[in-house]
Amino acid sequence: MTSEDHALPPELDDGPDDEQAGGRFARPGIDEPFDAYVIDHTYDECFQPNRWSRPHYAPLHELLSSLPVEEIQRRQLACEQSFLHQGITFTVYGDSKATEKIIPTDLLPRIITGAEWDAVEKGLKQRIAALNLFLKDIYHDAKVVKDGIIPGDLVFGAKHFRKEMVGVEVPRGAYVSVCGTDLIRDEQGNFAILEDNLRVPSGVSYMLANREVVRRAFPALFRQSRVRPIEHYPQLLLETLRSLAPPHRENPRIVLLTPGVFNSAYYEHTFLARQMGIELVEGRDLLVHDGRVCMRTTSGLEQVDVIYRRIDDDFADPLVFRPDSVLGVPGLFEAYAKGKVVVANAFGNGVADDKAVYAYVPKLIKYYLGEDAILSNIETYLCREPAALSHVLANLDKLVVKAVGESGGYGMLVGPHATPEERAAFGEMVKADPDNYIAQPTISLSRAPCFIDGKFEARHVDLRPFILTGAETQIVPGGLTRVALRRGSLVVNSSQGGGSKDTWVVGA
Amino acid sequence: MLSRVADSLYWMARYAERAEHGARLLRVRLEAMIEQGELESSEGWRRTLYALADTDPEDPSADPRDITYRVAFERTNPSSLISAIAAARDNARQVREQTSSEMWEQINRQYLKVTTLDYDWIWAGNPAQTFIDIGDGIWMFQGITNSTMRHGEGFDFIELGTYIERAQLVARLLDVYLSPPQEDGPKFATPGYFDWISLLKQCTGFEAYCKVYTAQISPRKIAEFLIFDPEFPHSIRFAVDKVQSALEQIAPGAPQTRRAACARMAGRLKAFVDYGSMDEVAAGGIQPFLASVLKQCEAIHDSVYKTYISYGLEDVVKS
Repeated sequence: MTSEDHALPPELDDGPDDEQAGGRFARPGIDEPFDAYVIDHTYDECFQPNRWSRPHYAPLHELLSSLPVEEIQRRQLACEQSFLHQGITFTVYGDSKATEKIIPTDLLPRIITGAEWDAVEKGLKQRIAALNLFLKDIYHDAKVVKDGIIPGDLVFGAKHFRKEMVGVEVPRGAYVSVCGTDLIRDEQGNFAILEDNLRVPSGVSYMLANREVVRRAFPALFRQSRVRPIEHYPQLLLETLRSLAPPHRENPRIVLLTPGVFNSAYYEHTFLARQMGIELVEGRDLLVHDGRVCMRTTSGLEQVDVIYRRIDDDFADPLVFRPDSVLGVPGLFEAYAKGKVVVANAFGNGVADDKAVYAYVPKLIKYYLGEDAILSNIETYLCREPAALSHVLANLDKLVVKAVGESGGYGMLVGPHATPEERAAFGEMVKADPDNYIAQPTISLSRAPCFIDGKFEARHVDLRPFILTGAETQIVPGGLTRVALRRGSLVVNSSQGGGSKDTWVVGA
Repeated sequence: MLSRVADSLYWMARYAERAEHGARLLRVRLEAMIEQGELESSEGWRRTLYALADTDPEDPSADPRDITYRVAFERTNPSSLISAIAAARDNARQVREQTSSEMWEQINRQYLKVTTLDYDWIWAGNPAQTFIDIGDGIWMFQGITNSTMRHGEGFDFIELGTYIERAQLVARLLDVYLSPPQEDGPKFATPGYFDWISLLKQCTGFEAYCKVYTAQISPRKIAEFLIFDPEFPHSIRFAVDKVQSALEQIAPGAPQTRRAACARMAGRLKAFVDYGSMDEVAAGGIQPFLASVLKQCEAIHDSVYKTYISYGLEDVVKS
């Protein structure tokens, strides 16, 4: 008998024919410890509008209705301790001690049905295929522009378009070998694409670390739920990188390039390198000698074949990109362009996850694959278009406005949550440089139960699956569920007060 | 193995060894102090501070509580115990993919523990216990390293760092007890019986010494034991032998021509202590002997760096 098989609380007083009111289920918004749980027009991952849990959430709901809160607290604490000891932390600068904090993790899994996931997976594979074809096209013949599918100035004028990439051959056309796509659910419960992260997406180590601790916290429920496994992600990643290596190199040397210990994702870099059994290198470990990229070892120089880089384009090579970068490798780009080394992801991918280009992705899918997009986009107003601009300026209080080249929740205005002054100031910025902005309706991200101060409350979540593309495209089921832990907040970025959850894809 | 990784593993091990040594010296000092009068106690503290290369060993106003705080817990003091543990951990953090998770978790736990200690509380009880716990924590780290990490080149760099550090720490400690007063150096009272016992305990050697020489405490025998015993892990000879064998293992792919300089130096130091005897040391003076050990250790360190870690491109391309 596990600690999860607890005695049930006394019968709850409710109608006799109410299937979920038999005492085993605490009703959201009514019964402790779910009494503070809000259900409204927003889609709830766990509950239906009638306050019953959705079938795939019922076992968790039942368990949480019966477990003493102190027990959940104990498990939450054990999970936080485990993160602290493993060093799954980020450093908060500002105070003299440079305090290390753990990434907030919520113990309750976010659960998705197998059928829902299968549709998402299909949609993601379709989307990544089109994006890779798009990148190859714009860095070669730019047919998509010539055919009038997307305006040329929008592509070639994008902040992250790299003219140095024009004509460079990328193995297997896999510009985006590792993609982290952010999905949300709208009020009807349909998954939609919020943004594509095609440059240096991070967060996969939290996906794996969350799984470790949550499986330990709810072992019986985990087993009974038949959760699809994700632990093989590092093997798939290694397989992906290996498939990009030059075929004539029998034992290709694959390394992970990190900006170093001060990077906020450093834990993830060490984690992945360790799990894949590859060398973790910094820029100062590499040098270009005789046209080849080598690493400095105690025995001398050794050639490197594939670099999984976790360093931005800007910092990768001071000779080509930012000259003040001390993190990169002088000469790396030239070696890359000549095919002497493979770098994943490719340079210049940022043009395709630009927020203005985003609006065209459904058209790109149609153009390259002849298919309709399986996963829909969020309606997007391009401020570069005069009609859209005036609509945006007139409706700043209802819209989310974003700078096109930014990511990580920076450079954006959440209209309904901003003060009139903030909106006016942002409106001026948009007017001054409309090409640089897009706007989207405020979408109420779906909510899922979280354990907050001894109660279960609803918090907004999104989903970031990780899509690997080498010889083929592979996705481990689920991904990282990010949570806006502050009540009412819609911002899930870890740099902005967000946390994360384990994601369970359950059932066949 | 990457030169940068070798560098981090080497320093991780050196700092861990230094932290364990510091914790042990403080523990023995704090225990001895209980039975000592004012004068003996302050003499003992001076010796300890010189052995730890403290920045202010002659501060007359300091009381044991302040001294202990400074050498153990002051973050701004780069040679404090806490700084050594933090440095070991920082180095471990930079090579997490090269070490085992168990190693990292142990050094990280140890670091989190010492950074959250309540000093008033430590002093309210038996302060020596805190240093027993810290020392045990580092020993556990070294033990975990030994039993969970592959004994490959990375491990050899750890061995090299551990034992080069240990040889130097023991030499410095012996210097404080055994060398006659130097013109420009500190002056100590002639050590008494309890000081010799303290010295042995500060090298974890009291019981081991008694097994070899019985409980007959003689300064010359203690010196002989801590310098020349081939089997005692905190003797200089033992540490030097380990340095030499670690150097034979590292950088197996480097050409002989590059390896030769380091190997020669290590071989010379090994011969210096393997074939030395207490009579020779006594004749030549203990102080010059210990100074030579320290100097040779430093030369080996420099040579390792020049050969394997911070070499220039021209050094490897032509060969």
